[in-house]
Amino acid sequence: YICIFFKCTLNYLFPQVKMNVGVAHSEVNPNTRVMNSRGIWLTYALGVGMLHIVLLSIPFFSVPVVWTLTNVIHNLGMYVFLHAVKGTPFETPDQGKARLLTHWEQLDYGVQFTSSRKFFTISPIILYFLASFYTKYDPAHFIINTASLLSVLIPKLPQLHGVRIFGINKY
Amino acid sequence: MTESSVKKLSNGDRCYSTNGVKPGKNGCVKNHYLYKKQHCYPEEKIYHVEHNGGLYKRPFNEVFEETPMLVAVLTYMGYGILTIFGYLRDFLRKWKIEKCQNATEREEQKDFVPLYQDFENFYTRNLYMRIRDSWNRPICSVPGAKFDVMDRVSYDYNWTFKYTGKVVKDVINMGSYNYLGFAENHGLCVDAAADVTMKYGVGVSSTRREMGNLGKHEELEKLVARFLGVEAAMAFGMGFATNSMNIPALVGKGCLILSDELNHASLVLGARLSGATIRVFKHNNMQSLEKLLKDAIVHGQPRTHRPWKKILILVEGIYSMEGSIIRLPEVIALKKKYKAFLYLDEAHSIGALGPSGKGVVEYFGLDPKDVDIMMGTFTKSFGAAGGYIGGKKELIDYLFTHSHSAVYATSMSPPVVEQIITSMKCIMGEDGTTLGQDRIKQLAENTRYFRRKLQEMGFIIYGNSDSPVVPLMLYMPAKIGAFGREMLKRNIGVVVVGFPATPIIESRARFCLSAAHTKEMLDTALRMISEVGDLLQLKYSRHSLVPLLD
Repeated sequence: YICIFFKCTLNYLFPQVKMNVGVAHSEVNPNTRVMNSRGIWLTYALGVGMLHIVLLSIPFFSVPVVWTLTNVIHNLGMYVFLHAVKGTPFETPDQGKARLLTHWEQLDYGVQFTSSRKFFTISPIILYFLASFYTKYDPAHFIINTASLLSVLIPKLPQLHGVRIFGINKY
Repeated sequence: MTESSVKKLSNGDRCYSTNGVKPGKNGCVKNHYLYKKQHCYPEEKIYHVEHNGGLYKRPFNEVFEETPMLVAVLTYMGYGILTIFGYLRDFLRKWKIEKCQNATEREEQKDFVPLYQDFENFYTRNLYMRIRDSWNRPICSVPGAKFDVMDRVSYDYNWTFKYTGKVVKDVINMGSYNYLGFAENHGLCVDAAADVTMKYGVGVSSTRREMGNLGKHEELEKLVARFLGVEAAMAFGMGFATNSMNIPALVGKGCLILSDELNHASLVLGARLSGATIRVFKHNNMQSLEKLLKDAIVHGQPRTHRPWKKILILVEGIYSMEGSIIRLPEVIALKKKYKAFLYLDEAHSIGALGPSGKGVVEYFGLDPKDVDIMMGTFTKSFGAAGGYIGGKKELIDYLFTHSHSAVYATSMSPPVVEQIITSMKCIMGEDGTTLGQDRIKQLAENTRYFRRKLQEMGFIIYGNSDSPVVPLMLYMPAKIGAFGREMLKRNIGVVVVGFPATPIIESRARFCLSAAHTKEMLDTALRMISEVGDLLQLKYSRHSLVPLLD
């Protein structure tokens, strides 16, 4: 039992024993380049499409409800993964500079208005347009969709880079 | 838009269909392409061979085939599913439904500020642990062309391993950096090293400046200088320390370092420690380098616009993750045009390239005096340990007094030095046999044969057709573990690498060829790789092989 604990501690303390085999390259934080790699925008679009189709196949949801649900679930997922989760899922050689930064803030090392930032800003807006159209501008759906869109657009503003309102999610 | 491996390719995306070979205006960096096909799509990578009027004396053949889009999408899906399952398992572990095998803090310490961030360990505990048996396999013989691997089994999904006591014998070794086959425990080098151990002992635990300087070290340095064709050379005990401790001695604040995108961490660390400004140019891309040089000279230092004190270009001979060879003729032409200095790290290319093993400078037929600082390691081709720096006598004299390694680090151990001396003399042919020359030829043949066969089978291989490092693309995370395990079942040991050491979709298996591999071993390996490739559907390549002009 003790040796298992010891081995686990060793693994915990020396996690360089990883897939970094025989190389130690100069890309300090690979998280910054993930959204620029080949095919990820397509995968993201396909993922949203998949979500929509799955929701459409549930028999007791009407089309407006499905669109609002798609919009809300997509924005919720985007908020959690891009603006709530902080740090990197692996150890980086920069002594944790990105530990308190969300993925959105880490993209391209904080450079604003790069192409992947623009893409991920525009895609919830497009989804919002589609949802508004298919819900026939119904007031209740409108309020839900707009609130959800704002929750995912406001954190993307460059003025809010690194800002934590009321200390939420600071550490 | 999104990046792709096409951008990694040679200079620009220009598609010339002319075939005249005119020399460039300034005699330097214009390249003309000689295409096989008449049309060329920018996304489709074609085999193209460059013949530049005066700079390249041999064809330079480097291809990085693009990731097929379907494969990229499936790879992201794979990582997405693994992430979701990772979160699920973490949830189960938190609510004690599943036992947590990782180290956790004691109950009393839970209210304190945490020592580690859980999330940084996410990848290790949820992805790496599942396929951990493909790495750090214990061996019990010398890692030559074949080795013996200890059999181990895990009953708790790789959290702990138990040895069954059996030994898997004669596993073909495709992972060691054993380019000339000097990793052996019998033969001339070993006998010489044993004699020297008897005579000199295992080492003087002292620095070169105090008591550690032996006659053997001086002999080694003279030999290295003669081997490389430079005025003087200096040897250090560690290859990593050679880079990280000597670059700060050469450049400082007010200097500019232009380093390649994919440089090794030792170079990056040395550059950071020096305090100079670092600018990164795209991998092996001469336009990017020229643009940076021009901007640097025109604009000077950032705020004051004073001229830079020195401009140092940091490149490697062979990049081991990509298998690409640096475009040295163009780099030297640029360096001469803009009056910069060149630091060439030949860790993988010394002994492995060139008709007599003298590295990438000889491979291109250039003059070693053009490279200001030639650095290399003894670890890969010479079967020893340590690094060297070669250059002008003033440079080496300066480094003797100003380098951290020279002043503070312990001197090299005599048997290691003797191993280097013997193997170097063997390569140069001075021991009276043709063993060195045979090995170099064997390595070149093995490289050509292996690469050609793999390409014919339909795998995607990165890199230059002359580089003995062969990365084979796997792409999907599950295939990383599957490839490692299936190859071991068939008695072949390979090295697989994944994210975050490589870009997220470009996980690969890296084969390192050796002069010790016979043709039968390579044939066996190729047969097994083809079998596993069919089983795992790894034959992604969309090109059929075009017969080369030569």
